[in-house]
Amino acid sequence: MLDEFPGTLISTEWHSPGYTPGDSDFEECYYYDNFGGCYGARGNLFNVGGIPHTEWNGEYDLTGGWANGNWEPAYDYFIGFYNQLIGSETPYDIVINGFKDGLTVNYDITVSMDDDHSSQNQKVEIIVVEDKIMSYWTGASEYHNARNVARYWISTEDLDISSAGESQTFSGSFEIDEEAWNPDSVKIISMVQNYGNYHVHQVQELNVNEFDTDQDGIMNNEDNCLSEYNPEQEDIDGDGMGDACDPCDNANIFVPGNVSGDLWYYDDTSLEPTVLVDVFDVLLLAEIVELADEESCGYEAGDMTGEGDVNIIDVIALASFIMEGAF
Amino acid sequence: MNKIYYLLLITLPFAQQLDPVDVALDELRTVVETASRSNQRVFVDDFTGLL
Repeated sequence: MLDEFPGTLISTEWHSPGYTPGDSDFEECYYYDNFGGCYGARGNLFNVGGIPHTEWNGEYDLTGGWANGNWEPAYDYFIGFYNQLIGSETPYDIVINGFKDGLTVNYDITVSMDDDHSSQNQKVEIIVVEDKIMSYWTGASEYHNARNVARYWISTEDLDISSAGESQTFSGSFEIDEEAWNPDSVKIISMVQNYGNYHVHQVQELNVNEFDTDQDGIMNNEDNCLSEYNPEQEDIDGDGMGDACDPCDNANIFVPGNVSGDLWYYDDTSLEPTVLVDVFDVLLLAEIVELADEESCGYEAGDMTGEGDVNIIDVIALASFIMEGAF
Repeated sequence: MNKIYYLLLITLPFAQQLDPVDVALDELRTVVETASRSNQRVFVDDFTGLL
């Protein structure tokens, strides 16, 4: 069903350690900073007794197993719950965004409202899950592709907003456990849930590899400017750094030799400037080499030998080119 | 004084009347707000089952 309704049906699997076979890639879930405890904490909300047990937006539930793990008879129940709940109006919308740096994930979860609703007992849950864990299920005697298994229940926050137009952002970070989790399959799931009746009012999920920090429609792992809105991804010098965040135009200004980036207009009628390479570029390049200033725009422009490294040889080469009238 | 009464009698009924354009705009606003409201997604807590 998750594949049947992508984006609108979101799940978290809370697995019982006692039910989990030893040869599966399951670990206990961190409940806040404590190893283990997720299953009990979440299950106690709904008084979960027998398993398997499903809770649909905290409003409908179904408990009971199916012989030999044949879950298909449950579909008719599940589709009924789904259709009862999907698409009804809710005052809440949730946007998950952030930035992933190696195995460190920094997230921002923004809950906004387009209608009034009391904030009494309203909570925001933040849960990290790992999707698609193949595991051997002893009850069914077969392998099962476990979906969105809870790995880290980060927190339960108070939602303070109650009026249309308001929003509240919850920020934090966590580390991906590379040994236990597949970093490609880590998602953040967040929901607005009422702790009076446990009804879920809205939910959202996002794979941590699909952050779009600047919200320009280009995911971070493909964006040539992570924090600048540049949906067109212009990159005039083709160096992989978009124009919106690239201080160095290596195509037209910081061309080889023009270390200082100086431009020269022949006269007032000339619309197109040309680069100016002179002794000042030699002096500046010498300074760049001395300071090992690899961040300056002149660094790449000063690589006269084209070896990818800028050193004193490039300074000599630039001086020679100028003396020979190469510019 | 009589002139004031007459004026009030004439004015009050019209003061309660809404401009048809305003009514239409209110209806349009309601339709747009309803259409733009968030739609509920569905969340399933699955306790060690098969989904």
